[in-house]
Amino acid sequence: MKSRVDPATLEIVRGALVASANEMAMVLSRTAYNTMIFEVQDYCIGVIDPAGRLIAQNSGGLPIFLADMGVAVRDGIEKYGLSGFEPGDAIIMNAPYICGQHLNNMVVYSPCFVGERLVAFPAVRAHWLDVGGSRVGFGSVETTEIYQEGLQLRSIKIYRGGKLDENIWQIISDNIRFPESSLGDLRAQLAACRLGERRLKELFERYGVDTVNVCIEEMWNQSERLARAAVAAIPDGEYTAESYLDNDGQELDKTVPVKVTVRVRGEEMEVDFSEVAEHVRGPINCGPSGGIAAARVAFKALTLPSQPVDEGCFRPLKVVLPPGKFLSAGPPAPLGLWSIPLPTVIDTVLAALAPAVPERIPAAHKGEMGGFAIYGKDEASGRRYVCLNMTGGGWGGRPRGDGPNAAVSICQGDVRNTPIELLEARYPLFFDYFSLRPDSGGAGRFRGGLGVELAVRARYPAAVNFNIERTKCPPWGLWGGRPGTVGEARVERASGLPGESVTKRTRYPIVPEDRVVFLTAGGGGWGDPLEREPEAVARDVRGGYISSGEAADYGVVLDPATGEVNLKATETLRARLRRERKK
Amino acid sequence: MERLGVDIGGTFTDLVAQDENGQLHTTKVLTTPEDHAEGIMTAIAKAGIDLGKTELFLHGSTIAINTVVERKGVKTALLTTRGFRDVYEIGRSNRPEAYNLFFERPRPLVPRSSCREITERITARGEVHTPLEAETAAALVAELKNAGVESIAVCLLHSYANPEHEVALGQIIGSVHPKAYVSLSHRILREYREYERASTTVVNAYVGPVVARYLASLQTRLRAKGFEGEVLVMQSGGGVMSLTAAMQAPVRTMESGPVAGVMGAASVAGALGYRNAIAFDMGGTTAKASMIKDGAAEIAGSYYIGGYSTGHPVMLPVIDIVEVGSGGGSIAWLDSAGGMKVGPVSAGAVPGPASYGRGGAEPTVTDANLLLGLLGEKSFLGGEMPLDGRAAESAVQSRIAHPLGLTLNQAATGIIRIVNAHMALALRAVSVERGEDPRDFALVAFGGAGPLHASTLARELGIPVVVIPRIPGQFSARGMLVCPLRRDYVQTLLRDFGIVNPPEVAATLRGLIQEGLAILARERRSRNSPPQVECALDLRYRGQEHSIAVPLVGQQFTARDRLAVSNRFHELHMSLYGHAAATEPLEMVGVRVTVQVPVAGGDFGDSAGVVAKGGGLVEPHGRRQAYMGERYGFIKTPLYHRSDLAPRTSLPGPAIIEEAASTTVVLPGDRVTVAPTGELIVRIAEGEKA
Repeated sequence: MKSRVDPATLEIVRGALVASANEMAMVLSRTAYNTMIFEVQDYCIGVIDPAGRLIAQNSGGLPIFLADMGVAVRDGIEKYGLSGFEPGDAIIMNAPYICGQHLNNMVVYSPCFVGERLVAFPAVRAHWLDVGGSRVGFGSVETTEIYQEGLQLRSIKIYRGGKLDENIWQIISDNIRFPESSLGDLRAQLAACRLGERRLKELFERYGVDTVNVCIEEMWNQSERLARAAVAAIPDGEYTAESYLDNDGQELDKTVPVKVTVRVRGEEMEVDFSEVAEHVRGPINCGPSGGIAAARVAFKALTLPSQPVDEGCFRPLKVVLPPGKFLSAGPPAPLGLWSIPLPTVIDTVLAALAPAVPERIPAAHKGEMGGFAIYGKDEASGRRYVCLNMTGGGWGGRPRGDGPNAAVSICQGDVRNTPIELLEARYPLFFDYFSLRPDSGGAGRFRGGLGVELAVRARYPAAVNFNIERTKCPPWGLWGGRPGTVGEARVERASGLPGESVTKRTRYPIVPEDRVVFLTAGGGGWGDPLEREPEAVARDVRGGYISSGEAADYGVVLDPATGEVNLKATETLRARLRRERKK
Repeated sequence: MERLGVDIGGTFTDLVAQDENGQLHTTKVLTTPEDHAEGIMTAIAKAGIDLGKTELFLHGSTIAINTVVERKGVKTALLTTRGFRDVYEIGRSNRPEAYNLFFERPRPLVPRSSCREITERITARGEVHTPLEAETAAALVAELKNAGVESIAVCLLHSYANPEHEVALGQIIGSVHPKAYVSLSHRILREYREYERASTTVVNAYVGPVVARYLASLQTRLRAKGFEGEVLVMQSGGGVMSLTAAMQAPVRTMESGPVAGVMGAASVAGALGYRNAIAFDMGGTTAKASMIKDGAAEIAGSYYIGGYSTGHPVMLPVIDIVEVGSGGGSIAWLDSAGGMKVGPVSAGAVPGPASYGRGGAEPTVTDANLLLGLLGEKSFLGGEMPLDGRAAESAVQSRIAHPLGLTLNQAATGIIRIVNAHMALALRAVSVERGEDPRDFALVAFGGAGPLHASTLARELGIPVVVIPRIPGQFSARGMLVCPLRRDYVQTLLRDFGIVNPPEVAATLRGLIQEGLAILARERRSRNSPPQVECALDLRYRGQEHSIAVPLVGQQFTARDRLAVSNRFHELHMSLYGHAAATEPLEMVGVRVTVQVPVAGGDFGDSAGVVAKGGGLVEPHGRRQAYMGERYGFIKTPLYHRSDLAPRTSLPGPAIIEEAASTTVVLPGDRVTVAPTGELIVRIAEGEKA
C-alpha cells in the first residue's frame, strides 16, 4: 500500500480540496437570489483539473450533478487552449448537448494560476430562475426544440483578465425574465469562483504544485481501488430490468420505454442504455452526460455512498450510450425537463441488480421530482412572481425495514421543500393542507413509504405548470411487495364546475376559487405482505398510515374496539389467503 | 464561598468555586447519570463548600439534551392548525446522505396519533382567516388528558405574526388539563418556518417535565444544605437564566457546557485586551472552534440535536460552534485503499487510548503525542494516571506504520498532522470563511488537549498569540461564572426595506426590549449593573433567502437611520461573501433584540489566588526529547510545572508546561509569558510555519 506521497500530506490535501469546494458552496447558497439554489440546492461546485477531470466536488448539493462538470470545462479548454486563459478570466457555459442539461443550469468557472502555471478551474453550476425562451419557471412540456428554451452560451468569456464584457452582460440581461434574480445568481457564482481561485492557490503554493498533483492522482487511485473492491463483491452476471415513463409531454398516449442491462465482470460494471427509447419530441431528453450521470448515481449508491466524489470513483464504470437516445439527444432536441426521467432510470438500474444483491436493493421509490411552478402577478405589490417548490414522496420498502415517508427523489439528496409560512409570506398563495397520504405506500413485509398531499389556492388569477410522471408504471414492489400508489394532481372548482385530473399541462390557468391538489406517489413494498409483523400493521392503523381496510391486505385482523391484533383470526386469514394464492 | 459553577458532562461533573477573595477551587467527580444531583452533592461535599455562604449556583447539564437523544421524555401531544399536523413528520423531506439508499429520516418525538388538529387559521399577515373553534378544542384537550398526555406542544401557522390563537388555546389547556406542561410556539420563538418552530416547541414540551423535576429536586437538595442563594441555568445562546425560566423553556438550555467554555474564552480574552479571539476547545472526542468578535461570541440561529441528517431542528440562538471529530481519543486507521484517517471514532474514556492500558488496541492522538514526547508517561493527569508508552508504540506500529511502510515517528507525526489539519479546517471555518483574518485574533485554547495543539494550529493559521487560561481542563465550569443574565429575541417582520414604516419597526423593537428588561428585572434581585440592550435588523437583497443581522446604533429606528443601515448591509455582504450590489432593493426579514445584565463578579482580570511560588527565574524540573515540528524535529525540551511559574515569568520555546489536567507545548522561537492574572500568553514567532 506504499504510495508515492506521504500519507498525511495526502489526507490533508484531500480535506482541503473538499473544504474549498464547500466554502464556495456556502458563498453561493447564502447569496443566491432564487429558491432553486438556497432551498432546493440545485447547484454544484467542482474543482476541475487542466485536463477537464474532476478533482473534488462539494458535499451535499444535487446527487444527479455527479462528476459531470468536467465536460463543460473541457469545451472551454478546447476552444481557448490552455494558453488561452489568463488570470481574471471567467467563462460562462450552458451548451445543452455538451452539458447534457436544460439551459437554466449555468456553469461559471475561472482559471486558477500559480505563477504562470494554470493548475485548476473552480467551477459553479447553478439553476437560474429564467434563461429566456418560452418557458416560465419549470415544468413546461410545450417545447419541441432547444431554441424555444432560451439563451445558449457556449464557453463565453464574460470576464477577460479581470475585465467584465459589458456587451455579454447586456445580452443576458435583455433576454431573460427576472434579470435581477439571474444576474444576482451570476454575481454569486463569480464570487464563489474567485474565492475558489484564492483557496486553491493557497493550497498549491503551500505544498507545491507537483506534490498536490501527485496527491490528486493518488486520491483518484484510492477511490478507484475502493470502487473496484465494492464491484467485486457483486456476483458476476448480466442483469436486466425494464420500466417506462408515461410519455414525453407531447404525445400523451405513447409511453417511453427504459430498458437497462447491467453487466458485472469482476471489478468492473457496465451499464448499457442501448435499449432505452430514442430521443423524443417533448422536452424530457437529456444529453449524454445526463444519461451518464444517472448511471453514476446508481453506481455510487451501490459502491461508495459516503466517499467524497472524484473522478476515480467512476473508473470501474462503463456506460454504453449510443447517440440519439432520449438519454443522449442531439440538436435540436428540447431538454427543458432533462432531469424528470432520471429517477426512473436510476431505479431501473437498481432493479436490474436486485437479483444479484437482494439485501442491498430497496423497492422502487416515487420516481419523480415532485416539483411544481405557480406564477402570475401579485396584484397587491404589482410584481410578477414564480413560485417553485419540491415535495417528497414515498421510498420503497427495504430488506431491513419500511421505506421512508415523504422524502425527495434519488436525484435530489439534500433538496428541501419550502416552508408553507415562507411561501405564503413571499407569494400570494394560500395552502389548505399539507399532509401524508395514507394508504399510498405499497404493501409488503416492509411497507413502502407514504407520499404527500398538498392543496393550494392563489389569491389572484395565476398559471400552473403540472408535471406528473410515473402514473402508468407505478413504483414497483420487490419479492412479493405491492406497488405504491401513483402520483396525481387535481384542480377542484369551488364554482361547482367539475374538477379535473391533470398530469402534464403548461400555463394551466386558475382563479382564486380553484383549489389545486398535488398528491405524490408512495413507495413499493418489499417482501410478502402476509409476512409483515401483525403488530406493525396495528401500529400503522393506529397512526393512520394505513386504513383498517388496508390491514386486510396484510391478512391482519384487528379488534375493532381496541385496535389490537387478533392473532388467532390473523393466522386463520393468512392461511386462507395463502391457500387462495396457490389456486 | 461566594459562587459555584457546576458543569455536568458525559463522564465528569466539574465544579469550580470562587470564594470571596476571588480564589478558585476545583473539584472533579464522576457523573451520576441516574440522578445528576447526586454527583453535584458529592462534588460539593468533596470540595468542602459551605452552601450557607454561597450566593450563586451557576449550572449547566446535559440532562435536557440527553432526554431527547435517549428518547426518555414524557408522553407529549402536538396541536397544529387543521390540515397541517403532518408537517412535523414530513419535515423538509431532504436526504442529506444523498447516495445512501438506506438513509433514515428524523424520528418524531410525538407519534402521528398524538399530533392533532385544531380548527383555526391565521394568514401570513397575521389576520384571522378562520376563528379558533374553542369548544372542539376543549373536547380534544380532554381526550388527550384521558389518554395520559403529560405535556402539550402548540404550534399554529403564522403564530409569529399573530399569537392570539395560541394564547387562547393555552388558556383552554390550562382550564381543561391544568396539570399539563404547556409549550406555545410563539413563547419560544417568533420566526417563520413552521417545521422548525414545531420541532423546537415539541423538544421543549418533551423534555420540559423531566428538566423541571430535576431542577426542582436540585433546588430542594441545595436548600436542605442551607443554600439560600439563586440557581441560574446556562443557556445555549451564551447567557444564564433563572431556574423558573429554565423550567418553562428548557429547550433554551440544550447546549450548556461547550457554550460556557466559549463565554469564558470571550471573557478572559477581553480581560487581557484581546477583543477578537478564537475559542478552541479540544477534549477526548471532539474539538470545537468559535469566533469571538468585539468581545462577543458569534451566535447561530439554529442547530440540530442529534446531527443534521436525522436530528431534531431547534431554531433558537446558540453560540456558533464548529465541531470536528478530533480529540485526544480519536482513533487513527487505514481505509481499505490505504488512505490514512484519524477520527471521528474515538476510543472514549473506556477503553481509551492504547497508552491508558485499559485494553485499547487502537492508536489514538494521545498515543501519538506520547510517542512524540509531547505528553509525559508519568505526568499525565498530574501523575494520577501513568501512560504506557509501549502499548502506544505497539498500536501505532502495528496499525499504521507497518502497513504503510513508515517509521514509527513518521506514523506518529502523520497522525498529529492529520488531526491538526482537521482542526485547522474548523478554525478556518469560523474565521477565514467568514471574511475574518486570523492574524487579528488571539487563540484561546482549553479542554484537556487544547493547549497541547494550540501553538501548532496558531502557526498554521497565522494567529500571533495563544492564550491558555487557568484551569483549562475544567474551563466550562469556570466560564459559567462570567455569564450574564440574557434574553435573545428574533421577530419575523417581512417588509420591503425601501418603504419600511419606521414607527412599526421601532414599536416592534420597543415591545421586545420591554419584555426582555421586565424579565431580567424579575430574575435578578440585586442589580449592580445597568442592563445592556442590542438591536439589529435582519436584511437581505430582495430574492435572497439568507439574511445578515445589521446592528443598530442604539435602540431606536427612524427614517433617518435607513440609509446608514443599508450602507452597513452592503459592507457586511461584501466582507462576508466578496460581492455586493448597492443598487439592489433590500428586504427586511425581521428584527432582533438582545438584553443582558452582567452577574457581577466572577470576571477574569482578577489576580486574586494566582499562586506565585517561584521568582522571576524558574528552573525546569526535567527535560525530555519532544517533537517540535517538521523544521526542528526532536529537541531535548525543558519541562515545567505550571504551578511553579509566577506571574510575569517569561520563557523561550521549546518548553513543555504541565498541570493537573492539561499540557501546554511552546514551540522553538515562540515565547511564553505568565500574565499577572495567571494565564499563559504564548507569542508566536513571525514567519514560522507549522
